[in-house]
Amino acid sequence: MLDYLIRRLFGTVPVLLAVAAFVFLFVHLLPGDPARLVAGPDATPQDIAAVRADMGLDQPLIVQFVRYLGQTVQLNLGRSIKTHQTVAELIGERFMPTLLLTVFAMLWSVIVGVGVGVLSGVKRGRWQDQLAMVLAISGISFPGFWLGLLLIDLFSVRLGWLPTGGYGGWQNFVLPAFTLGTAVAAVMARFTRSAFVEITAEDYVRTARAKGVPERGVVWKHTLRNALIPVITLTGLQFGFLLGGAIVVETVFAWPGLGRLLVDSVSYRDYPVIQAEILLFSFEFVLINLLVDLLYAVVNPEIRLR
Amino acid sequence: MRHTVSRTLLAVALTLGLSGAARAAKDLVVGIPVNLTGLDPADLNDNASQSAARLMFEGLYNLDEHMQLQPQLAESYEATEDAKEFTFHLRKGVTFHDGTPFNAAAVKFSFDRAGNPENHLKRQSLYVMIDHTDAVDDYTVRVVLKYPFGAFVNDIAHPGALIVSPKSVQQYGKEVTRHPSGTGPYEFVSWTADTLRMKKNEHYWRSGQPNVDTVTYRSVPENGARIAMLQAGEAQFIYPVPPELIASLQNSPTITVFDEPSILGRYVALNVMRKPFDDPRVRLALNYAVDKQAFIKVVFSGHADTMDSPMPQLLPFHQKQGSYSYDPAKAKALLAEAGYPNGFESTLTGISDTLAQRGMQFIQQQLAAVGVKVNVEPLEAGVLTAKQFNVTGPQDATIVMNFGAWSSSTGDADWGIRPIAYTKSFPPVLANLAWYSNPVTDAGIEAGLATVDPDKRAAAYAQAQAQVWRDAPWIFVDVDHSLAAYSKKLHGAFMRPDLQFYLRTDASLD
Repeated sequence: MLDYLIRRLFGTVPVLLAVAAFVFLFVHLLPGDPARLVAGPDATPQDIAAVRADMGLDQPLIVQFVRYLGQTVQLNLGRSIKTHQTVAELIGERFMPTLLLTVFAMLWSVIVGVGVGVLSGVKRGRWQDQLAMVLAISGISFPGFWLGLLLIDLFSVRLGWLPTGGYGGWQNFVLPAFTLGTAVAAVMARFTRSAFVEITAEDYVRTARAKGVPERGVVWKHTLRNALIPVITLTGLQFGFLLGGAIVVETVFAWPGLGRLLVDSVSYRDYPVIQAEILLFSFEFVLINLLVDLLYAVVNPEIRLR
Repeated sequence: MRHTVSRTLLAVALTLGLSGAARAAKDLVVGIPVNLTGLDPADLNDNASQSAARLMFEGLYNLDEHMQLQPQLAESYEATEDAKEFTFHLRKGVTFHDGTPFNAAAVKFSFDRAGNPENHLKRQSLYVMIDHTDAVDDYTVRVVLKYPFGAFVNDIAHPGALIVSPKSVQQYGKEVTRHPSGTGPYEFVSWTADTLRMKKNEHYWRSGQPNVDTVTYRSVPENGARIAMLQAGEAQFIYPVPPELIASLQNSPTITVFDEPSILGRYVALNVMRKPFDDPRVRLALNYAVDKQAFIKVVFSGHADTMDSPMPQLLPFHQKQGSYSYDPAKAKALLAEAGYPNGFESTLTGISDTLAQRGMQFIQQQLAAVGVKVNVEPLEAGVLTAKQFNVTGPQDATIVMNFGAWSSSTGDADWGIRPIAYTKSFPPVLANLAWYSNPVTDAGIEAGLATVDPDKRAAAYAQAQAQVWRDAPWIFVDVDHSLAAYSKKLHGAFMRPDLQFYLRTDASLD
């Protein structure tokens, strides 16, 4: 297990280097001049030249690329073109809010989503199944910003129970985590249900029933264990996705997250921030993939990690 | 004896309790739409960050909530007739937040720093005309310019020339943007991600002020969430409020709506070097074809004013020119006269935000009614600026109709017209996106800048405005309003006509 882990971790390095190179090229090919965007509409050519020189953007592309690679390998992520803050600081300020929001949203949505999915799978065709699937469709269909604003209006403005947004104590997490988790829970529910239904039709489940295993044992030990494999994959993907920042929820609830930082940075062509964030997201995905693979082995010992 | 003691104790307890309650903290929270970019006033170009810097820094002169020049750190000034030498008399007894004294040396330091090209500061071009600054004595500063510049005192009131503590710059270098130290009514406490906190400067030179204990800026990008903040009492001032949501706030018992004219003028720049816009009759026709009142109703829910001159009404030396009334018949006649009886096709380019798209679609419909078929092209900010400014001259221009706006960030007439109507302001230098050039206009603009005499400046700008109005290189659309909302308990908070948040030093919270 240990050398599998080490091998996998080492394997991430070339992947990340490739991502870094690709992102640099891609970002620099975007139309739009960051110096002009940052200098603003009032800027004269001197102002723009000043910004450009300040950020080393007047160097030939290959020089900038070599500098960028060299700095990244030393974990120096550079400075934001817009605010001159170190990128590490910018991302650092937003990492915990994004991580915590993702964790809380995923926690409730996976538990509720999988639970509802299993219930639907077990009570296939009955009213519990119908009701659950209607809720699931609604959850997927409600636009996040509409739901979020509705919740703010009800719980913050009219009832005054919760804050309208921002990062702070547990009260600040309630509405954003609920809004963010709604779509995830809905997807989880539908997905778990179909995985469950599929597995239930498998031969080994029929065999277990024929052997006389009590229904609860059939559900939990045989069906669920195997249905969980695709569900774990989906959870990992969702988690990785959300760690990239939930831009809509962050915007509606004024949440200081990585999603908003990325979108703002793209508007300004703030290359160092864009590059660093995409690199971070790639790294997070790689880690999550690794975790998911390890979880498979836990859930089903028959899966060998090679 | 015991009664007296217990009654005294009770009295003392009540007094302490009451005074504690009466002196509850006055905390102002301002909801802004964007994130701040920095707090070094010489290196800012966005309204939000500049308004925050103004709470912590001050300039020799200041533009108040009506954009009138007021003395701040200077008590008076004299200028030579040729607008080349300005002498300022400074206020005494002022200190920076870090304890160092405010004096002529600090002013010289700040001006030298802002104008020095080696510092790569964003607003350096506003001070490039300074030849040298002399600290004549501790409280007198003389600035000598390389060439006449009548608008100089307005430039001094701009955030780029706010006076910074020399010690803070020497100590922090580039990091001074996170360690601001000025003479202003509020001191820096902290700035993390979306939240800037400031607290009252106990040693502020205006005694008895400020009355507000803390000011916090919170970045809330979503309009609905920002309004919810105000309604829930989490913020006491928010901006901007989209025009269509103003009505919903107007009847609130706890909220006041701020709705005043701004100095942001909106217009469609027509590329006068390309057919058919090279023909003045076509340009006039387009002005008659668009119903400006209807535009304001549809796009701004009525919260804007028509343009009656190339310069917005509140700019100094504005002179009303008239109006191009809504007259589609006249438009068609002019088009026919110019050789386009069946109209023509063209492309209207602008930014891709909701307001601009609404505006462009409205104009598209109006022009279609006179036979001019216009294709609307909304572009993302970076792509748009690339298209506008990645040019070496008019031959490279790819935009023929540009839906845009301009606001004089210094509040002076010069910056309200020179960047958009002067021959030397062709892109990529400045924003004359109509590629418009007329020697009469140029002469007016140059004369206005060459003197501080208000009568001479008025005459010069009258000439420039009249010529631009006659030539109509733009479809003159509207002048926006400044729209905001605030708690009825807050007094002394405004949106300036340049769309910047402004808090008076005597502001108060009930």
